[in-house]
Amino acid sequence: MSHPLEKIEYKPISVRKLLVEMKNLSELMIDLAYSAALFNDKELAEEVLELENRVDVLAYLLNMEIMIAARDSKDAEALVGVSVVASATDKISDAAADIAAVVTQKIGIHPIVSEIFRKVEERLTRVKVYEDSVLAAKTIDELDLAARMGVDIIAIRRNKEWIIDPEEKEQIKPGDILIARGAPEGIKEFKELAEAKLKKLED
Amino acid sequence: MHRENRKKFEEIVESFVELKDTSELMIDLAYSSLLLDSKELADDVEKLEEHVDQLHTDFELLVLSSKFKPEEAKGLLGLIRLGVAAEKIADAAAEIAEVVLRGVEPHPVLKLAIEEAEETVTYTRVTENSPLVNKTLREARIPEETGMWVLAIRRAGKYIRPKPGIKIENGDVLIASGYAEGEEDLKKLASP
Repeated sequence: MSHPLEKIEYKPISVRKLLVEMKNLSELMIDLAYSAALFNDKELAEEVLELENRVDVLAYLLNMEIMIAARDSKDAEALVGVSVVASATDKISDAAADIAAVVTQKIGIHPIVSEIFRKVEERLTRVKVYEDSVLAAKTIDELDLAARMGVDIIAIRRNKEWIIDPEEKEQIKPGDILIARGAPEGIKEFKELAEAKLKKLED
Repeated sequence: MHRENRKKFEEIVESFVELKDTSELMIDLAYSSLLLDSKELADDVEKLEEHVDQLHTDFELLVLSSKFKPEEAKGLLGLIRLGVAAEKIADAAAEIAEVVLRGVEPHPVLKLAIEEAEETVTYTRVTENSPLVNKTLREARIPEETGMWVLAIRRAGKYIRPKPGIKIENGDVLIASGYAEGEEDLKKLASP
């Protein structure tokens, strides 16, 4: 990769927090990678490759926690499992990168395959936010889509840039392209809201 | 595109989606087995790993035996690569589950992580007289009624991803996680 590799500094962080974050990040990467393959989006695929760095940092931090905690051979025996988990998570992010590479290396997927795939994969969607959509000008926090319909916005495309895993305070703008995942019927409702076919947010 | 060809594509995609879904279910179950310290769940992940190997082989054989034209082959190569990635994901999930299965007394660092969870995994069989039978997961409203979250459904040796449209059947085993007090409520609901 072209960017310089940063030094990763130790900071105290709970192992549980690291594991939960690694789990979430792995699932996010896989969903984004499949989205990139499904919608044949090269730039999104490149973002997935970038995300690998975040997993690397977490794996380093987790390994550091282990080293600090191990004082004798008994500790080492008990802790080696945590290190295995760190490397398995790294493997998952590698696999996501492999999926993304199908797009970046221009191998691509047969158009009919992606068409059929999109029909059966009901968990992921890509939508454009219309001018008169109720989603426009609201923050992700205000929309509270997770509680309302079990939908999670995992990426926003705005002005040629991708915003990955957007924060709660991020405001949706008309013209945004959103990648979202969730339960199929929630995804359907979400799409209708974005395309202003449905004008009201139900509680 | 000939109708026959399209049908072949559909069959291949269907086979791939099962592979993909299973590998993703495994990640969820593997991390849950670790965080909840559940050997039973880890054991399920191991079983699923074997199943994924079979799915992957079937999928690749299906693609190879489909006799596509050279110009169609490139698009299918992409799909084959996705299949390899899905199997890699399943392998990684199995590695996580193995940590749980080896059963070394977890180090205080990990133990702390596990105890912070305060959640448990429960396996509940749905009996004939349960109001859940023939309801979809959406209609069953299990999280609302019991506070338990369904991770997977085991049916006749198979594991099903808990999609909202899935209908619950008599004899299904619901694999769910949540706080201990919800376990009792779920048991009452599934096997009254």
